[in-house]
Amino acid sequence: MTKKIAVVTDSNSGITQSQAKECGLYVLPMPFMINEEPFYEDITLTQEQFYRRLSENADVITSQPSPEDVMKLWDELLASYDEIVHIPMSSGLSGSCQSALMLAQDYDGRVQVVNNQRISVTQRQSALDALMLIEKGFDAARVKQALEEDKFNSSIYIMLDTLYYLKKGGRITPAAAALGTILRLKPVLQIQGEKLDAFAKARTVSQGKSIMINAIRNDMEKRFDGALADNIWLQIAYTHDREAAEQLKTEVLNAFPGFDVHMDPLSLSIACHIGPGALAVACCKRLNA
Amino acid sequence: MDSKTIDAGLMARMFLAGAKNLESKKEWINELNVFPVPDGDTGTNMTMTIMAAAREVSALYDMGDIDMASLCKAISSGSLRGARGNSGVILSQLFRGFTKGVKECTDITVPVLASAFEKAVETAYKAVMKPKEGTILTVAKEGAIKARELADAGTEDMTEFLGQVIARADEALLQTPELLPVLKQAGVVDSGGQGLMQVLKGAYDAYLGKEIDLTFDRESRTVSGKPNFEAQASADIKFGYCTEFIIMLNKVFNIKTELDFKAYLESIGDSIVVVADEDVVKVHVHTNDPGLAIQKALKYGALSNMKIDNMRLEHQEKLFKMSRQEEKPAKEEVLPGPKKDVGFIAVSAGDGIAEIFKGLGVDYIIEGGQTMNPSTEDMLNAIDKVNADNIFILPNNKNIILAANQARSLVKDKKIIVIPTKTVPQGITAVINYVPDLSVGENEETMLIETQAVSTGQVTYAVRDTVIDGQEIRQGDFMGLGDHGILSVGSAISKVAFEMVEAMMSEGKELISVYYGEEISQEDAEKLKERIAERFPECDIELQYGGQPIYYYIISAE
Repeated sequence: MTKKIAVVTDSNSGITQSQAKECGLYVLPMPFMINEEPFYEDITLTQEQFYRRLSENADVITSQPSPEDVMKLWDELLASYDEIVHIPMSSGLSGSCQSALMLAQDYDGRVQVVNNQRISVTQRQSALDALMLIEKGFDAARVKQALEEDKFNSSIYIMLDTLYYLKKGGRITPAAAALGTILRLKPVLQIQGEKLDAFAKARTVSQGKSIMINAIRNDMEKRFDGALADNIWLQIAYTHDREAAEQLKTEVLNAFPGFDVHMDPLSLSIACHIGPGALAVACCKRLNA
Repeated sequence: MDSKTIDAGLMARMFLAGAKNLESKKEWINELNVFPVPDGDTGTNMTMTIMAAAREVSALYDMGDIDMASLCKAISSGSLRGARGNSGVILSQLFRGFTKGVKECTDITVPVLASAFEKAVETAYKAVMKPKEGTILTVAKEGAIKARELADAGTEDMTEFLGQVIARADEALLQTPELLPVLKQAGVVDSGGQGLMQVLKGAYDAYLGKEIDLTFDRESRTVSGKPNFEAQASADIKFGYCTEFIIMLNKVFNIKTELDFKAYLESIGDSIVVVADEDVVKVHVHTNDPGLAIQKALKYGALSNMKIDNMRLEHQEKLFKMSRQEEKPAKEEVLPGPKKDVGFIAVSAGDGIAEIFKGLGVDYIIEGGQTMNPSTEDMLNAIDKVNADNIFILPNNKNIILAANQARSLVKDKKIIVIPTKTVPQGITAVINYVPDLSVGENEETMLIETQAVSTGQVTYAVRDTVIDGQEIRQGDFMGLGDHGILSVGSAISKVAFEMVEAMMSEGKELISVYYGEEISQEDAEKLKERIAERFPECDIELQYGGQPIYYYIISAE
């Protein structure tokens, strides 16, 4: 008899509560403290509200889902499912994964925590891949194994409109700190597995976009076996400025004709570190099961 | 004297005399400038190049018992390290090639000389990426061709040989305006070629046994690449007025009258140049009584383009400027930090621009630019101070690229990559586009592409009257210089800058960066920025303090 397996991820994946219901998976909301008042992404805090508070210079702090919330969800799900595949945001960016791994030890292997260092649109793809693998008859442990083996097959480039939030949050890595200059630059950051790090600098938005598109193409060709539409998931993410993201989408489609491009707002726990006006291009190699 | 060979002692005297002769005419060569912009003048650059070698040769000469091998080494390495400016680098390469051809013999004969000249020309052409005819290269090449003809025809007499080679090179120099339209338009011969002729003629004079003062101030050896202020201060200007004019002939002016006129000028001054061309004669003399020269000249025709400068006053100004430079605090020593994979060296003038480069991660700034071309040795010192396996050099001036390339060829233990940036904004763009994750080669490629997308305009002043592209420019006018020529001219800086920006703009430009110089107030710069912002609302405008001399504004569009 095939096992009944639930897929859980967190709101960093960009999957909203309503989308989650449609796909048949579960999304843990990330908690925020705004001026010391707690909020839950997509439950008590909308994107609009968030950016308004951010622009008002409110003190925005993210934290990981509380163990209590995590276990509560797992316990509820295990009442009707045999196993859980849990996909938290990248262990390089948050302690969520570490905590979940620890909590899962008390569940006798029924909860498999995937440590595949994804975030945002690439984390979303992992959740969808998990559903696909389960459909194919994988059990939770094999899903975890498959996703973790695939962990380096994704790449994200993000162009920031400003360095202000990165500096303020203290999330700046030494390489990114070297971007401290009196010139107004558009830094391009990268997320490869573990870390958010500086990749390049641009003076203008169009330079920044072409840097990202070239970098993604380079990754596809050198790391992911070729820039082919049936081999690659291509994604765009943004903070706050949807119009700019639509424009970027057109340009990305021009650069990669015939590809499907998925577009999402960046999750708020990233947005609070990089501020509004950021644009990202990402890709994952399609998982072969 | 054996008139068939040259030994090491004579060659040393010839080299020193050539250097001396170049030095004495350097101001005149400086003025053979196509664009009337303040810049690192050819005469000065070539003189500083040859002087670096002359000091070494002079020391050797004074010790007596000179041999060809060590003489050649002194000439070659001295000029190579002292090289600055494009013409200086080419001159040093000519010497390097030449010395390769003679270093192994004790007595130089005509066939040896002919081969050495060929070697010199070959080496110099190789040093330039896109050799241009109508320059010092052409002058050297024509001389070498003549030398080969004479040697193959069996000429053995050195006096005749040298005389004819120089005559051919001189002819080639006069032809340079036919090969390079810019020279023709400005009404000058190539300045580098003229510099080379000074060296050759000085050397020939020494060969002929003319009395030449060969003393060189060797104290300045220690001050690498900088003129010696002490020596300058005590330099005695014998004839105080630099006097220039053109005679529009209304009487016959043949060889005899020319010689008479020259003899007269020699009796009242020195640094005499008299060039006759059909119905005009160009005259240049340093004298204490310009009136006498003018009166004499009036006998042959009407005068035009008269210019008389008090060189003693200019000298004072120059000394004043130099001592001001001296007062600047010594460049902060960069401690050789932990070894890095990649380092950056940029050439720039102005504290604001230096700050920008440092903020972008440039390890070492060589102070220099348009009027101060750093030498190859300055580059080598900088390379020494940057502890990295790979070093990118950003010359940021077209006249400094060759010196950087020369430094690259002299460095063995580090990989040097010269990005041929011609302006400061190109240099800034190059550093910004550096991506640590990519290989040195990939970075070089992107930097080259990205710097091409930057248009630069620079506002400066005209140092003399001229006509360029049909546009009349008066001394003291402000000019906006683009990547390919003059974009705007006028008497108000802001207006010239604004019109220059208008001329620079084209489809797809998104960002205009304005770097204002040391002589511009922040207020004026802000006003210009607002004006540009109004005119180009679709562009981002960024205003930065550059603090650079010479250029009131450096503006880029990308």
